[in-house]
Amino acid sequence: MSNATLVDVKDMVVRFPIRTGRGRSFITPVDRVSFTIDSGEVLALVGESGSGKTTIGKALLRIEEPSAGTIQVGNRDVTHIKGQALVRYRNDVQMIFQDPFGSLNPVKTIEQHLFFPLKKHQGLRGTELYDRTGELLERVGLTPVPETRIKYPHELSGGQRQRVAIARALAVNPKFLVADEPISMLDVSIRAGVLKLMNELKRDMNLSFLYITHDLASARYFGDRIMVLYGGHVMETAESSDLLRRPMHPYTKLLLAATPGNPVRQPLPETSNQAPDLLEGRKGCVFATRCPLVTDLCRNEKPPLQSLDAGHAVACHYAV
Amino acid sequence: MSQTPVLELENLSVAYDTPKGPVRAVNHVNMKIYPEEIVGLVGESGSGKSTLAYAIMRLLKGSAFVQEGTIKVLGQDMYKMSPTELRAFRWAKISMVFQSAMSALNPVMTVEQQIIDTLTSHRKGITPPQARARAEELLDLVRIDRKYLKNYPHQLSGGMRQRVVIAIAIALEPAFVIMDEPTTALDVVVQRSILDQIQEIQRHIKFSVLFISHDFSLVAELAQRVAIMYAGRFVEVTPSQRLQEAGHHHPYTEGLLRAIPRLTADEVTIEGIPGNPPDLVTLPSGCAFHPRCPVATEECKIALPPIYDTPNGLIECHRFAGEKVVQHV
Ligand SMILES: Nc1ncnc2c1ncn2[C@@H]1O[C@H](COP(=O)(O)OP(=O)(O)OP(=O)(O)O)[C@@H](O)[C@H]1O
Ligand SMILES: Nc1ncnc2c1ncn2[C@@H]1O[C@H](COP(=O)(O)OP(=O)(O)OP(=O)(O)O)[C@@H](O)[C@H]1O
Ligand SMILES: [Mg+2]
Ligand SMILES: [Mg+2]
Repeated sequence: MSNATLVDVKDMVVRFPIRTGRGRSFITPVDRVSFTIDSGEVLALVGESGSGKTTIGKALLRIEEPSAGTIQVGNRDVTHIKGQALVRYRNDVQMIFQDPFGSLNPVKTIEQHLFFPLKKHQGLRGTELYDRTGELLERVGLTPVPETRIKYPHELSGGQRQRVAIARALAVNPKFLVADEPISMLDVSIRAGVLKLMNELKRDMNLSFLYITHDLASARYFGDRIMVLYGGHVMETAESSDLLRRPMHPYTKLLLAATPGNPVRQPLPETSNQAPDLLEGRKGCVFATRCPLVTDLCRNEKPPLQSLDAGHAVACHYAV
Repeated sequence: MSQTPVLELENLSVAYDTPKGPVRAVNHVNMKIYPEEIVGLVGESGSGKSTLAYAIMRLLKGSAFVQEGTIKVLGQDMYKMSPTELRAFRWAKISMVFQSAMSALNPVMTVEQQIIDTLTSHRKGITPPQARARAEELLDLVRIDRKYLKNYPHQLSGGMRQRVVIAIAIALEPAFVIMDEPTTALDVVVQRSILDQIQEIQRHIKFSVLFISHDFSLVAELAQRVAIMYAGRFVEVTPSQRLQEAGHHHPYTEGLLRAIPRLTADEVTIEGIPGNPPDLVTLPSGCAFHPRCPVATEECKIALPPIYDTPNGLIECHRFAGEKVVQHV
């Protein structure tokens, strides 16, 4: 694995207008978020519903445009690219969505789903096109290939559909994939196969992933590193097993204590269920309203994300 | 155990009438649940968990019907009760938390009205002040601030709505509560605090629970026993602490255990189960799991295995031939 940085996000902000009692204001569900992903590396993005995970993924694909900060992918600044440059950029990055059915076209066969990107982005025709389609289906385990080719999405199971979505993403030879909860709608017995496939692709093709999930166990399985998000802010980032062994942020600790399958079951600290404030210009630590360790400092000052030791960074005034 | 079970399922089969004939979603299920016990029910989507829950409640909808077998709650046959008896029995003795909390609440009634409604429809003598006091008590129990009594469901978060549904389910202090994926749509932290509360309340009120979920790790933590459902059958019923003994369970159970990434174990390999869950209309012959089973033999294709009483649980699989055969779980 090479250690070249492939994705470099710095102080990224994504804002959306909302209507309030006093006219228009903005929320920033992604607020000064920074991270890097090396080539061949998987960064798992974990956080509760509404914490901004999908929005980060969409910004990386430039489905959303950041209002501040920068996104560099392979030394190219893509933060505000448009037109042809954006089309070319999307050759290098792809997204796999949660709902494998919603992302496929019911009236197209499986091979037709792959023809489109192969023709448009790779310019393939004739037998080349046919052969490459077969290779991709084989690669994602949709065998026997001749039978799969001519099926329609409704004739496949959820896991098989997700494999089609992965094959389609691979069709443009991407270097980087955003996988947004790709297994959460699949049956338990099917999930492992899809996770393993992504793991093989990462290894064999040196692909990088942003893997979005709210399941810490699968984040640990697939992610080389885990980044914990809360209310649009990064709480903690560390190498996966390190994060689970030595969680430092109170939110990470809470998350870990709450996850089923954790052999050390301590009672959860009593915290409120108040949703985090997402309004632009919010002050202090976003987790302050729920944090058992909260002080006035937390309410007033946003703690910076500080590296405590090799690769382990925490945004907490009192992290130990 | 010598106590009267709160739930007894004997040879229960439930089917849906379809143009292609009856489709059996619950297939000869046997189970006893005892007072104060929490029993987990895990199975993949479509394995028949909700159908079983509705059958127990006698709330089957549409073309679904009990094909065979009996359901007794607190010793009483649910399907021999008159409508009046049933109305008095349901919610008072047996209640249910439905899979989607949103649809379980009435959007145009406040939280307080909904709780009071449940109370007054079963306790004729209860006065309005008593009912209001009880509603407050119930909110305390599920840890929602009393000020939310005057709110409508849409003004609450998903987690709070689910707590209200649980409060309504336990309002009449039933002996038995079925919870059908009560926390699936919620974030893990909210899920955990609700589960902690369910356990705490359960220690006070001492009801039994049938807890339906597809999250194996969660059920194993919460329940004393776990039933594993596959294509309508209970292929295994096992004490939770026994689940980690690899090599001694139904091959489907073991497949599920291997398919889940472990949160903290050193080894991080996982293995999916090949193939897909079967279609109930074209159920495989013999043991329905045989096409996906790594240890299937010729016999598995032909004959449905009996239930064996093994040291690790009751298991419906030919590889335990030689162990004692049981009829009822
Ligand atoms: N186009 C939009 N316009 C306005 N608000 C938006 C838009 N997209 C997202 N949001 C808001 O931004 C916040 C973050 O949403 P996002 O979808 O990124 O969360 P998430 O972490 O992916 O959650 P989930 O786990 O539920 O998928 C939410 O409060 C959401 O309502
Ligand atoms: N109205 C119906 N007509 C025919 N078959 C039905 C009907 N409703 C459900 N079924 C079938 O009954 C089976 C069991 O469904 P059920 O809802 O009980 O599953 P479940 O285990 O609760 O699944 P989930 O985990 O998705 O909630 C399914 O295979 C389904 O296809
Ligand atoms: Mg999302
Ligand atoms: Mg169900």
